[in-house]
Amino acid sequence: MRLDGRDTGHQTRRSDIATPHAPATDPVRVEVRGLTKSFGAVRAVSDLGFTVEPGTVTGFLGPNGAGKTTTLRMLLGLVRPDAGTATFNGTPYTSLREPVRTVGAVLETAFHPARSGRNHLRVYCRAAGLPVERADAVLTQVGLADAGRRRAGGYSLGMRQRLGLATALLGDPSVLVLDEPANGLDPEGIQWLRGFIRHLAHDQGRTVLVSSHLLSEVEQTVDRVVIVGAGRLVREASMEQLRSGAEGGGTVLVRSPEIARLAEVLRADGMTVSLDGDSLTAAGRTTAEIGARAFAAGVELHELRSRTSGLEEIYFQLTAGQEQYAAGATSPEASR
Amino acid sequence: MTHLIRAEWTKLFTTRVWLGLLLGACVMVIGFAVLLTSFAGNPESGIPAVGTPLYEELAMANAVNVNVLFLIVGIIGMTQEYRHRTATPTFLTTPRRGNVVIAKLLAYALAATLFALVVLVVNYAAVAVHAGVRGAAPALDADNLATLGRSGLALVIYAVIGVGLGALLRNQVGAIVGGLVYLFVIEPVIRSIPATSGAYKWMPGGALEALTATFEGPDLLEAWQGGALLLGYGLLAALLGTFLAVRRDIA
Repeated sequence: MRLDGRDTGHQTRRSDIATPHAPATDPVRVEVRGLTKSFGAVRAVSDLGFTVEPGTVTGFLGPNGAGKTTTLRMLLGLVRPDAGTATFNGTPYTSLREPVRTVGAVLETAFHPARSGRNHLRVYCRAAGLPVERADAVLTQVGLADAGRRRAGGYSLGMRQRLGLATALLGDPSVLVLDEPANGLDPEGIQWLRGFIRHLAHDQGRTVLVSSHLLSEVEQTVDRVVIVGAGRLVREASMEQLRSGAEGGGTVLVRSPEIARLAEVLRADGMTVSLDGDSLTAAGRTTAEIGARAFAAGVELHELRSRTSGLEEIYFQLTAGQEQYAAGATSPEASR
Repeated sequence: MTHLIRAEWTKLFTTRVWLGLLLGACVMVIGFAVLLTSFAGNPESGIPAVGTPLYEELAMANAVNVNVLFLIVGIIGMTQEYRHRTATPTFLTTPRRGNVVIAKLLAYALAATLFALVVLVVNYAAVAVHAGVRGAAPALDADNLATLGRSGLALVIYAVIGVGLGALLRNQVGAIVGGLVYLFVIEPVIRSIPATSGAYKWMPGGALEALTATFEGPDLLEAWQGGALLLGYGLLAALLGTFLAVRRDIA
């Protein structure tokens, strides 16, 4: 069985988000305060604090090496912090009475390769005191029902991610913590995951914390972002706040038969301009501002468009400085 | 705790590792039984003749020779969590990690009891057939049953030691290789050197010999003392493992 947008309400419009109907679970707020962790001489996380509100999808963003995974593992009691706390409605993970019913987590694809996906899930049903029928229910929920009896070692990357997600959903938890869940998914899988995450949060009222090193990957899914760099909080904001800060942050591509003259006009206006044949790229202004300058100068335009997402640009600016030691001599791409 | 033990059983019986090790143990125990019986009464081998009480004691305790496979069952049971990184979902489901170790000790003791019964039956059958052909199949009298029982108990305790050792070392290959080197190199050396052989009765091998009461060899503890000491080693390893290794960060 496939879950697609039509029958599960994935295509909920943003205006509906504020009033989730029939929340399936109790609202749980996640609070992180002063979290600090060093591995040897390397300070992985420094005095990190943020809040994840119930019923929202919060993106946990930062370049690789920013301390995202360490933070999530401290949140879940797998790594012991040197200082600080991480709580679910005030209770640390390791003190939760029924952890699996409160929090579900997808950290890495971890299963015994010789065990079938279904048996893998049944193990954790037993351990958590859940009925073993939950294994079949979550397999169907993530679209793995047909592969459930096959050895998990033969699963594709996408199927492994789905099995991880199924494991997290066993206890029908109020909170979901997903560490880079889109890794290894094909475009169709990513599309499915986005809809699934929105459905879990907005239709079912769950709290979702999803990490990624790419803003563009989660941009359409998340309501809020927590951006970290070098183990510190860089920015905690709603997507609306981030977007309003991103106005004019991108670059603009312009094509014109009088491109040299336009470049002079824009440079005179204090813009940074780079010429390339009959087109130029200008930074620091919106398309509207550049269009107005061209109109005023009487320059004919053949194309005028925003070239990079302003949001992506601001994310890059927020995290670029933090990446120095993590990326070292290599480019940001190479460090992925 | 019951549901955690059942979870461990599900883990154990949903891969085929147990089947391979159990079949291996059965084949090994048949091989040892045939060897023992073939050389029984041969003056050069020093093994008493078929039909003597001493032969029967050796033959009934023969299952102890596959203790290494029971040790490996326990080691794999614990270390597979680290090898396949399932420690993450396991400790997410049960954040009190000590409970996972306790559940594994109990689950593997129970599973090993079943496996040990199979091995004992196979051992008795092999001995009865071969010794029967050579003149006298051992009767299932009280003495022989007691020896069989003690050798089965030794196998179960070795599985518990395996879990404890796995908890302490976490590395599957390291724990298995370490266990084999200890059993087949270090202990025999300690046993054979006069200066250290006095300590041997306090070591796992000496405790095992005491429990299964083989007739020759160095000074040993009483059978029950040997059993308790052996179990103590397993539980000590599990306790140290829980506090020194299992509680460490799962990064």
